[in-house]
Amino acid sequence: MSKLKHISIVIILASLGLVMLLDLNKIPNQFEYANSIYHHITNNAVGETGSLNFVTAILYDYRAYDSMGESTIIFGAVSGIVLLLSRKTLPVSSHGLSFIVKRTYGMLTPFIFLFSVYIIAHGHLSPGGGFQGGVILGAISIIFSIVYGSEFDYKRYTPTTKTLLETSGALLFIGIGLIGIIYSGSFLSNLNILNSEPGSLLSAGSIPFINLGIGFKIGAGLAIIFYSMIQKTFKEEASL
Amino acid sequence: MGLRIIIAYLIMGGAILFAVITAVGLIRFPDVYTRIHASAVVLTISAVLLSIGVAIYVWQFYLSIKILLVGLIFLITNPLATHAIARASYRRKIAIPQVKSIDEYSGYLSRDQE
Repeated sequence: MSKLKHISIVIILASLGLVMLLDLNKIPNQFEYANSIYHHITNNAVGETGSLNFVTAILYDYRAYDSMGESTIIFGAVSGIVLLLSRKTLPVSSHGLSFIVKRTYGMLTPFIFLFSVYIIAHGHLSPGGGFQGGVILGAISIIFSIVYGSEFDYKRYTPTTKTLLETSGALLFIGIGLIGIIYSGSFLSNLNILNSEPGSLLSAGSIPFINLGIGFKIGAGLAIIFYSMIQKTFKEEASL
Repeated sequence: MGLRIIIAYLIMGGAILFAVITAVGLIRFPDVYTRIHASAVVLTISAVLLSIGVAIYVWQFYLSIKILLVGLIFLITNPLATHAIARASYRRKIAIPQVKSIDEYSGYLSRDQE
């Protein structure tokens, strides 16, 4: 039995290597700069998408379907972790850290939120975007859980709210893709609404809206992952 | 090389001096709490002095304001983290020194609980 397994593994690997060897000559020659894809992107990306950030232009315009797959991976990870770590009873901690930490983070949290919204909204102009700003959004929920106790986070932002935010982010992404079919015939094509000149905030067609959807999706997803993990470990006990 | 650049280098040199003091303290001090006390120096004074020095070195209005904001965030959050770590390790009784001459924090905490 195990011998058959080994032989089949060797056959599969050899056939895979043969296929890759046959495709080796289809790789474009890197010296043909004038016909290559990066020549096209560096010369035409601003005119075609309106985004100054070429990484965002590739992620959310040329390969937006791929980005949708990536955010679906986050959705799968959240579903799996919640399924593995779900519990019926919720042992929550209501004490949190000391008074000094609570007051200072009470003053700091609005600025953290403002920073994450800035990163999401300027995703097509500067480094950053939906994924990065969404991680900072998720960090706000983690700060609430650690500093104020997980009961605070549970009362203010229930798991239903977080699930609603995550699902609405994904629906915004897919909705923009479906509007693209009606508008110009292909899925996730760039809608040329709200197109002022490149470099201003409301430029680049549908890229800012996709950024917004991905930001909410990633932030709420990470908060759900963190919350379902601390359900397992935290117990009601003396404050730190 | 104007006077402004020299002042910026002097301030950054002060930041490096405090970082060296922190490294010496981390090696020489005996237990957790004195080491936290030493590491708070590089977290607050050194980072803030470095941001002030870089802001003087760059000397453009918006860039300097942004760098000073980063320094302000350091000034607010880093003593907070030091406080939270020290308090949590004291309440969890991590590496409480056996020989001590004074322990005022236990009296403060017991007063807090009553």
